[in-house]
Amino acid sequence: MQDMEKVMMKGSAPKNIDPTKFSFVQVDAAKCQACGTCDDVCKTGAIQAVGKDEKRKVLDPAACVNCGQCLVNCPYGAIYEEISFVDEVFKALKDPNTVVVSMPAPAVRYALGEAFGLPAGTHVGGKMHAALRKLGFKLVWDNEFTADVTIMEEGTELLNRVKKPSHGAPLPQFTSCCPGWVKFVEAFYPELIPNLSSAKSPIGMLGALAKTYGAKQTKTDPAKMFTVSIMPCIAKKYEGLRPELAASGYRDTDVTITTRELAYMIKKAGIDFKSLKDEAADPILGEATGAATIFATSGGVMEAALRLAYEVLSGDKLKDVDLKGVRAHEGIKTASVDVPKFGKVNVAVASGLDNAKKLCDEVKAGKSPHHFIEIMTCPGGCVNGGGQILNPSVLVGDSGCRKVFAEINKRLAMKAQA
Amino acid sequence: MSENTDCTRRDFLKLAGTAAAVAAVAATVPGMVGEAQAAELDLVTKRQTGVYAADANPKLYKARKSQENPMVQKLYAKDGFLHDGPTGHKAHLLLHTHYFDRSAGVKALKAKGIKLKA
Ligand code: SF4
Ligand code: SF4
Repeated sequence: MQDMEKVMMKGSAPKNIDPTKFSFVQVDAAKCQACGTCDDVCKTGAIQAVGKDEKRKVLDPAACVNCGQCLVNCPYGAIYEEISFVDEVFKALKDPNTVVVSMPAPAVRYALGEAFGLPAGTHVGGKMHAALRKLGFKLVWDNEFTADVTIMEEGTELLNRVKKPSHGAPLPQFTSCCPGWVKFVEAFYPELIPNLSSAKSPIGMLGALAKTYGAKQTKTDPAKMFTVSIMPCIAKKYEGLRPELAASGYRDTDVTITTRELAYMIKKAGIDFKSLKDEAADPILGEATGAATIFATSGGVMEAALRLAYEVLSGDKLKDVDLKGVRAHEGIKTASVDVPKFGKVNVAVASGLDNAKKLCDEVKAGKSPHHFIEIMTCPGGCVNGGGQILNPSVLVGDSGCRKVFAEINKRLAMKAQA
Repeated sequence: MSENTDCTRRDFLKLAGTAAAVAAVAATVPGMVGEAQAAELDLVTKRQTGVYAADANPKLYKARKSQENPMVQKLYAKDGFLHDGPTGHKAHLLLHTHYFDRSAGVKALKAKGIKLKA
């Protein structure tokens, strides 16, 4: 076990693991205080009390969507991650024959700074690119580029469905960029699979483009490329291992690490993050727009897609791009957007799988008035992902009072059992 | 300094919550969780505010619509890598996927009498 930014990491993934049979997070029974915070935040019910002492456990990977919300909310740091690819990344960075490619998600840059004492929400994209180059990444590509590509693909798909909904491609269309949500549909609402956009997530697209288009553009042998997905998310580790994501002829994503693991690597390499000068990503697969960066928050994919759909459906330029009606702090938000020459586009945005469930039941009953629905597993979206820097106020410090209460607990527990 | 003085109110609530759960004083438990989640949302709000500020900052992002990204335009250009456009043939091969029914595992758990939330 290794401590990376206050989360315990068990180690490398065994070779050829089947991600569906693998638990990405688990509870350390020695640290669990049976407080129940995790089973409150888990919306699938995968984490439950077991045995007489009611310590929690992720019962079965089949019911867990790997979102890591239990982990980031545990006051005792009792939940650990099963796999870390950090050792593999360091090894690849040392190998002169390997071209290591970075693929950081939008949300990473709004939390990474917190690990270095910067205020929450500071955009550190430029410093992050500089740090990746310093670490030895040869191609600093950025997942924000493929967030823009996702809008082109998923937005066009939506327009096709609106024009001609079919049995195989019905309305409403659901977003498909959140791997926790995608697994939730596959496991709990398989009848709604046709409603999921067939577009890969931005990282699914970037991995595939890196080893084809990107390799050509930079005259790099794709066999020598090692693509590192850097995510605010534990479920993205699961997604990266999906066997079908090998469209380039190689593994599209070689490994996935989280914001926490990147912060750990930057510290381990002795890089003074705060004093780094801003740098841009390498343009071929690195340039991005504001529509891409808002993927980091609940409502962002919807707003970005509407910035495209409005123009295509109406043939007009969208003058005010701030579509505040779909910005969703948390919970469910619905909106009806007036598009000239088309009519109303009805949309819903939800984060948290309990909220997603309500919208799913509506679609299942054939009662959904929506054209397009955005779902993020983590409350508030990826900025609050399970792979982000921990909220310092969630962890109970190792203060003296912890010991005092631990004692009281023990006595109470003994009394309760007596 | 006694050991108790470095307890913050939050520490106290959380730890008291734990104790209370064991002692079955249920009323304090929702209080504890509420406090933890309120703190969480403050952090989320800060990060979300940062996101929308960056979107509106032309020094960070020159354009605000995906279709106006020059590298996206290059990718889909007539002589570009994805010249048949979004959702075209090549885009389908590389950028689209399919999903699997994974409900069997969940059904098996429910059949064993395990209660799930969905
Ligand atoms: S990772 Fe998510 S789905 Fe799995 S047990 Fe934790 S909260 Fe539940
Ligand atoms: S909301 Fe974002 S961080 Fe959370 S599971 Fe989905 S993609 Fe991952």
